[in-house]
Parts: sequence; structure tokens; C-alpha cells
Amino acid sequence: MIVEYESKQTPIHKLDPRAKFIWLVATIVISIIWTDPVYLLGLGLVTVIIGCIGQFPWAKMKGTFMFLLIVTVVITLIQGATYVPKVVWLANPERVAFHLIPGWIPMIGPAWPVRIGGLIYGLSMALKVFVVLITISVFGYVTSPSEVVQIIVRLPFVSYKSGFVVSAASKFVPVIQIQLATLRDAERSKGVDFDSGSFTEKVKKTSSMLVPLFANALSMADTMALAMESRAFGYSKNFTMIRPYQMRVSDRLMVIFSVGGLVASIVCLAVFKLGAL
Amino acid sequence: MEPMIVSLKDVTFSYKGSKRQALKGVSLDVKEGECVAILGPTGAGKSTLACVINGTVPRFIEGKLTGDVVVDGQVPNQVGTAQMASRVGLVFGDPDTQLFGMTVEEDVAFGPANLGFDYEIIMQRIKRAIEDMRLQGLEQRAPHRLSGGQKQATAIAGVYAMLPKIMVLDEPTSMLDPEGKARVFSIIRDLNKSFGMTVILIEQEVDDILELADRVFVMKSGEFVLGGTPKEVFADVDELREVGIRVPGIVEFGNLIGADRTPFSVEEAVSIVKSGAFDVLSDTLASSGPNREVDASNERAQDITPIVEAVDLEFRYPMGVKALDGANLKIYPGEFVAIVGQNGAGKTTLTRHFNGLLRPSAGDVRLFGKSALNEPTWKLCSKVGYVFQNPDEQLFCDTVEEELRFGPMNTGMDKDKMEEAIRDILLDIGLDKYRQVWPRYLTKGERQRLALASVVAMEPEILIVDEPTTGLDWLESLQILDYLERLRREKGKTILIITHDMNIVSLYAKRVVVMANGRVIGEGTPREVFSQPELMEHAYLRRPQIADVSDILWGEVLLTPHEAADRLKRSSRMNREVAGK
Repeated sequence: MIVEYESKQTPIHKLDPRAKFIWLVATIVISIIWTDPVYLLGLGLVTVIIGCIGQFPWAKMKGTFMFLLIVTVVITLIQGATYVPKVVWLANPERVAFHLIPGWIPMIGPAWPVRIGGLIYGLSMALKVFVVLITISVFGYVTSPSEVVQIIVRLPFVSYKSGFVVSAASKFVPVIQIQLATLRDAERSKGVDFDSGSFTEKVKKTSSMLVPLFANALSMADTMALAMESRAFGYSKNFTMIRPYQMRVSDRLMVIFSVGGLVASIVCLAVFKLGAL
Repeated sequence: MEPMIVSLKDVTFSYKGSKRQALKGVSLDVKEGECVAILGPTGAGKSTLACVINGTVPRFIEGKLTGDVVVDGQVPNQVGTAQMASRVGLVFGDPDTQLFGMTVEEDVAFGPANLGFDYEIIMQRIKRAIEDMRLQGLEQRAPHRLSGGQKQATAIAGVYAMLPKIMVLDEPTSMLDPEGKARVFSIIRDLNKSFGMTVILIEQEVDDILELADRVFVMKSGEFVLGGTPKEVFADVDELREVGIRVPGIVEFGNLIGADRTPFSVEEAVSIVKSGAFDVLSDTLASSGPNREVDASNERAQDITPIVEAVDLEFRYPMGVKALDGANLKIYPGEFVAIVGQNGAGKTTLTRHFNGLLRPSAGDVRLFGKSALNEPTWKLCSKVGYVFQNPDEQLFCDTVEEELRFGPMNTGMDKDKMEEAIRDILLDIGLDKYRQVWPRYLTKGERQRLALASVVAMEPEILIVDEPTTGLDWLESLQILDYLERLRREKGKTILIITHDMNIVSLYAKRVVVMANGRVIGEGTPREVFSQPELMEHAYLRRPQIADVSDILWGEVLLTPHEAADRLKRSSRMNREVAGK
């Protein structure tokens, strides 16, 4: 689950959205190019610290983290059992750590050796997923969707109308979710049992909700369009941004920190192999 | 001659693809700074008229428009909607469909930003709109996290920030609870009286219009059938009834007692009675409605086992909001109970436990004396029927007939029995001629009746109806409530309604349950509940004006104008007899 944006007055929330966006991009790029789990762990730690300053509600991510943990274990074991990369700082990456099928199982064990190099590589892959997910979640929590739209519409090739459509569409998602839940409750109140029956039957039960769902969405979109028209949407090409962003010292520091970190990691990786396995 | 800010002459409009005329030769002149109220049943053409004034009809909503429309010196059809937006602000009933910003501040800025004003001007306008609409402190709040009244205030602020000369409000309180309604009406009063804006208000809430509007127009089938000052229009009680407009309680009282002038406020009604400016012998008293035999049926109910019982019920939504905090309630067979309280009091959350849609985090739900906590909804629904607020969220089938079969087929009802029940229900709710029609083609009132009937078809003993009159006009509301009352009286059903409408409560409820902060904080007959001002205030409820009048005059709470007129007649006779002796 991605945590919804919350309006707060933390130092991270107050940052210029462009600075936050640059941090997001830099962190994702670094997490992609680094393969050493120790470095990725460090990068994750920095992201967590930024999240903590932004008062990110970690408890809400518990379910996601549990799911990712399972995925991590699976990825790590599969990588460990199937792939052995060259590890710069490891003397013998091919050393077997353990077998997926241990030796004490008669007839078939030991089989599927899990090697140290593969394990480290699997861990690195899983950490990348962790870092990217946490970074996106923290960014989404500290940056309002309208700020995201403001970033998008400031791009030279994007119009305000397109940006607004993205924003309006994102607002529709929770509305549709609530409608779907109500329709489901209404069907349950008319004797529909969603828990029983085959897959096909369940799909059939759910499909009856689609017509009212789309009809309601269309009707709502119609009223929204009328309300937008009544508030002069599209009247002028010079839509005034109500946030004429100005880079303050804190924003500049964030940009320097992000861009500097990105450049340093590329240079260190290319020249000194730092961050690589 | 005084110049008019809105001038419509012989305006006729038909929607594209429709032969029916939504507006038929409508003429209307509105002076600058006036507050004009437009009343009428749903489908009368009120919203169409609003859209003609701001130009969305026919530029955005296509159709054929004839006649002359001049608004603030402009012809909307020629100027364009967006340009008209800075002259005419249009506010709709559902605030959720007209809030576009991620924060209140951004939403208020939306209009001025579209007009391309400078940043500084926009910020000034935001500040003023937020102050004038009393939204200070909520600037950074996400609109979807506001209360209904705050949302509508934000929507009005968004339009107000464009500084239009005319504000058209299309049923702005139709989806609000009493507190939200009071807030919005107070804002409208400010817009007109304090800020000098011309206001055109389309409404169903007649009580609030009496003192607010300078002139009132009543529409029916696309034309004005009544028009004039509130005194002139509301004096024609018969015509109002004919159109389907609820006659305000005190106006009806004045009419029933043959008052020498029509009362428009509680004070006026009291003054008329005290000064003896009435002719109570004009024997116009009719039946006072379904609530005459209230108390007898209620006493009978208390002696038997509750059909539904909530015991120390607690419930917390996944987001952490505690919606029920130890709610206790007993409902007896054959009762007609109204659950009242402001939005967020826990009314819907409580009743959704009765058919298993929600499961409590603590406490028990007993149906027919047994715990129902482990019974699934698909089993409970044949005993407890639940009708949702919005009919469009509970109609799934292609025809009216199929819609009525949907529930009974799921619960495994005998086919012959089902067909017989459906036949009777269709006749009973007046939808027999629409058997093969797609439910979406019906009017809102018909859809609401169909949604109710589709649950009644499952023959549950208990019927829970959430806000049955939202968005309906008075006649449609009465049709729904009359049907529920018939089900109770003729078929012994137990009826629970959730409502904000105290006039409906007065007329139909045998018992009222008042909720606040996830608890039941009071209950009794409507008379008992309306006699407790502290309880009413705590739950943000406002009793009908006639109750205020009778309380002041005789120290007792009467529920309907007929009851009050009856009371006056008795006391007048007594006085005359005493004087005669």
C-alpha cells in the first residue's frame, strides 16, 4: 500500500517540490547503479532518515514490508541457488553457504547449493526494491499530488490541461474505490455471497457492479466538467500557478546533496568500483 | 426603470435529442442585490434555468435555446461560459464534484488562476474568500477531509473568489446535515445582505427561504406557476400543495387558524395568536397525519422482546476513527424509529451492524433475541433489509422487474411467491408501467422507490432506510415515507430510518433515537425529544418551527400545524365558555 499524502509542516514537506523530485530521481538512479548491499543499506538508511524527518507513518507500511520481506527471502534464495556473480571484495563467491534441499534428506539431498555470491546478489536486488519503494512512498507522503502536477506542467512539453487531467484522474481513484465498496455492500445486502462459488461465479457476481460503477463515474465526471467550466477552466492559456516556487537555502542544499550524491556515486563506481559487487 | 442584472424574456429550452421542453417561455427579472428563491419539484427545470443564466446551457450542455437572456449586460450564449464565470458564480448541490484542489487554499484559487490573474491578486482573493466564508485555519486541509458544511463553504468560496456579481446556488444544502445547512444558509445571508451580491437560490428548504428571499418563484414543468414576495407566494397554500412544495409549518398554522396575515417567523405566529388576530372557528382542520396514534403503539411495543438490540457496540474504522463508542439500542417489533444526529455521529455505522455489513470490535448485536455476530450478511438480509442512501449505488439490473427479482433469487425465495410479491410491490410503488425500463431512465424519486422496493421484495421483517429523502422533493419524500408507513401498519414491518429532516420525524416516527459521538445520547417520542433543548443542541438538531410556537404559547411541544391549530381551537372555546359564564 502506498501511503497517501498528508499536509504537514515538517522540513521535508516544506521543501520545494522540484528539490524533492530531484532527490527522488537521484536516489532511484543510485539504487539502480549500485549493486553492493552494504552501500544500498546505507542509501536506504539515508532515505529512512529523510522519511523520519518528514514524519512518515512507518506503521502504515507494515503490511507492505512483510510482503517485501517474503519477496526478499524468495529472491535471495533463488538468486543464491541459480546465479553466481563476480564479487569484487569477496575472495570466493562460489563458496556454498547451504543447500536448499539439505543433506539429511535421504535420496535427494544435498541438492540446489546456495552460494555466498548469489546470496549477496539476491540481497542486493531485494534491497534495491526496498529503497525504491521507500523513496517513492516518502516522496508521495511529503509531496501533494498537485505539487506533482505543478512539477509536470512546468516541463516545457506539457500543458496545464494535461497536468490537471492527471491530477483529476488521481482524485477519482479513491472515489471509485469507495463506490465499489458501497456497491459490494449493496449486493451483499441483497443476498450475494462473495465468499462462496467458483472463480467464474465470483467474477460474474463482481461484474454486475460494473454497469452502475461506470454509469455513476460518467455522471460524476459530467457534473465535474460542468463545475470546472463554471469556474473558467481553460479560459486562459496563462493559468497562474499559485505556488511560484522559489528555491530557498534548504531547497538548494537538498539539490546539492542529491545531485552531488548522484555524481559522486557514478564517479566512485566508475573509477574506484565503490558500490559494486 | 431600474436596470436588471438578470433579464430573461420568454426563454424556452429543449435538451439535445429530447422533444420535451425543459423551460417553457420563462421570463424573469432580477434587480442587483436582490435575493431570489426558486422552488419547485425535481424535474421542474430549476437547474436548467441556473445553467441558462451562467451560459453553460446551451454552450456546454447542448440543446435548443430561444428567447432573450441578458446577464450583467452580456448575452451568455455569445460571451462564453468561462467569461461569464467572473460575472455569475454557480454552486451545485454535491460539493464533492466541484472541489478540484488538493487543499482548501488551492481549491479557492482554482477559478482566479484559470482567469490568469497575477499571483498577488490570487492570494488576496484567497485570503478574502477564506475569511468571508469562515474557513480560517482550514487553508491547508484536504477538501475531502472536511465536513459536509465546510466542503460546501469551500465550494462557495471557490466561486466567490472570482468575485462574481451574481451567485446562483443550486440546492446547496441538499446533501448536508442540519449543522452544515445552518452554516451554508448563514453564508448565503452574508453574501446577499453583507457583501451585496445578487443571489439566486434554488432550494427545497422552504423554512429558511421565508426570511432570506426578497422574492420567490415556484416552477413546475418548465414554467413559473407562482411568483412574488414570500408573503404573496406562501399565502397561496393550495397552489403550493398542488405543485408539491412543502408549506412551511407556521404558514400552514396561520392558514389553519384563519390568521389575518400570514406568519413567516415564530415571533409573528406567536404575536398573531396573542393579539387574537385570527378566526379559529374557520373550521379547516383536517387530519393531522400519521402520527396521531403514536404513543399507544409505542407503549405496546415496550413489553415485548426487542427485535434488534445493540449492546455496548464499539467499532473503529481501519483508518483509526472510532465511529461507535459503546452504543446501546433496542428496537421493538412494529416500531417506526428515526435515528437522528449530525454527520459522523455513528448512525450509519450502527445500523450497518444489524445486517452484518460491519462487525463490531466489541459488544454484541442481537436479532430476535439471539446474537447475530457470526451470521453472514447474505443470510441476515432476508431478515434485515438495508436500503442505502444513494439509489444509484444499489441498482444493478437491466430492467425494473429484474431489479426486484435480484434479491429474492439470491435468497432462494419460491418462484411463484416471488412473482406474486413483485406484482404487488410494483403496483404499490406505482412503477408497474415501467416493468421493462432500465432503472437509470427513472427519475431520482422513482429510483429511490425502486431501490426500497428491491429490498422489500426479499420480505425482511426489519427495514433500515438510510436518508430516504436526500435529494428528493417534498412529494417524492412523502411517497417514500407513506410507503414505509403502510409496510409497518399493514404488514407489521419494523422500520428504522436515518434522517436529518425533523419534519419527516414529526410526521412519521413513533420513536426518535438521538446519536452523537458514536453513542445513543437520548431517545423518546418526537414530542419528548423535541422537548429537550439541551439534547437537541448537543446533537445539532433543530426542531420544527411549529414546536417552537406551541412551546412559547402553551408550554407544550406540538408536532404539526394541525395539532397546534387544534390546541388553539380548544383553548379559544374554553376561554369563550369561561367568558360566557
